Amino acid sequence: MSFISDMTVRSPWLFRINAGSCNGCDVELATTAFIPRYDVERLGCKYCGSPRHADIVFITGPLTVRMKDKVLRVWHDIPEPKVTIAVGICPISGGVFRGGHPIAGPVDRYLPVDVNVPGCPPRPQAIMEGVLLAKDIWLERVRAQEEARQSLKKLGARPEEKKEEPFIDAGYL
Amino acid sequence: MHDLGSFLMQTLQGLFYLLIFPGGLFALSLGLLFKGVDRKLEARFQRRVGPPILQPFIDCVKLAGKEEMVPRGAPRAYFVYAPLLGLVGMAVCAALLPIPGVTHGMTDMGDLLVYFYLMPVPAFALMMAGSSSGSPFGALGFSREMTIMLAYEIPLLLVILAVALLVGAPASAEFSLNEIVEFQLANGSFGLNPVMMPALLAYLMFLPGTMGVPPFDIPEAETEILEGPLLEYSGAGLAFFSLTSAIKSIVVLGLGVVLFFPGTLPGGILVNIPWFVLKCFMLMLVALTFVKVASARIRIDQAFRFYIKYPTPLAALSLILVWVSR
Ligand code: SF4
Repeated sequence: MSFISDMTVRSPWLFRINAGSCNGCDVELATTAFIPRYDVERLGCKYCGSPRHADIVFITGPLTVRMKDKVLRVWHDIPEPKVTIAVGICPISGGVFRGGHPIAGPVDRYLPVDVNVPGCPPRPQAIMEGVLLAKDIWLERVRAQEEARQSLKKLGARPEEKKEEPFIDAGYL
Repeated sequence: MHDLGSFLMQTLQGLFYLLIFPGGLFALSLGLLFKGVDRKLEARFQRRVGPPILQPFIDCVKLAGKEEMVPRGAPRAYFVYAPLLGLVGMAVCAALLPIPGVTHGMTDMGDLLVYFYLMPVPAFALMMAGSSSGSPFGALGFSREMTIMLAYEIPLLLVILAVALLVGAPASAEFSLNEIVEFQLANGSFGLNPVMMPALLAYLMFLPGTMGVPPFDIPEAETEILEGPLLEYSGAGLAFFSLTSAIKSIVVLGLGVVLFFPGTLPGGILVNIPWFVLKCFMLMLVALTFVKVASARIRIDQAFRFYIKYPTPLAALSLILVWVSR
């Protein structure tokens, strides 16, 4: 089934979470790394508006106290297998906001971060390299998932239906 | 015995139409291919490299392997079967489509009126999806989808009436798709007929609205309402929506070809299938791709006003001209 997993990683859909960033990294993500000059769409990437569609998620900003719950909730809404990239020094260490009273981060206290892209803000090339690294990690995860499914099939067991427990009750309003 | 045999034959034939040739597999793969070419062209117009042409297929493979989530509080059956409804509606539509010079489609099963009723099924599926997903963005998408559907169905109805009256002249109206094709093969394509030119324009304006491409991608605006009705779908459900829109593109483009340019080339099936595909492609280029790269999203009230202001009077003009000249 390596064909399917090879196909799969050729279509990474990207989602951005702003966890209290100064917007520098968001500008870099939205307008610099994805302009015609660098064009990540040739890798099959696409920005999607909904966390449910995402495969690779970018987190920017130092994770403020107010944003923490919301970020975690959105992150848990992203279906598996997913890869998390922390963009900028803010989510990695707190950056220029480190030690400030409204800061709950760094992000990897609460979420497993797979790829760090340091910089304030990082260069577009660095962000694209991050996407490529994330693709490799994603490929491993997809393969692992395939294998788990296969071995379950061999054992004759039905894959256990995963009960979805939203992180926080989905009372949207 | 004989009855049973012919019944079986008919069933098999119907299944073939539905699942393999004009419908099902053919429309599906052609639609996904068109989508890929469309994305590639869009990228090239913006001086980008663009995704590989087979990207929509890859996306569908990926989505099939993703985890599927049903939001808590959503009516499960409603939520899960909404995408299937749209897909089935469009597959039936594609099976009914005659390809000039190649197949008559399932003629005895339906005509233009059935088309008119089946065409909004994907929109209804989107509305179901939006209203059942339990999120305010879905509800917003639902209301927008309904508004724009009401707006673009009016010119479509007028276009259909104009075509039917012209074919059925002087006494009645003729809704059978095959009769429409035959009539045009005998008397010249409607796309080149001055009386029908306004209707053709109206149909071209109807296309981006029904396909939900910019400037009319208002119900699924990902930057304002997070893809609206599709917000809560992940995995296979989302893949079904993209398959639906792939078949739908073939259905609406194919209907455009049947209504306005059904001319055939001499040389049988092997020439006429590529000819049909080419005509669909040209239609897509003019009505979808160029419009898409040249415009930005407008507001829902502007879209509604646009459809009332331009395509509707154009189609009505054709209708009146046809009525007067018969
Ligand atoms: S890393 Fe720098 S540019 Fe990025 S959000 Fe933090 S302060 Fe802003």
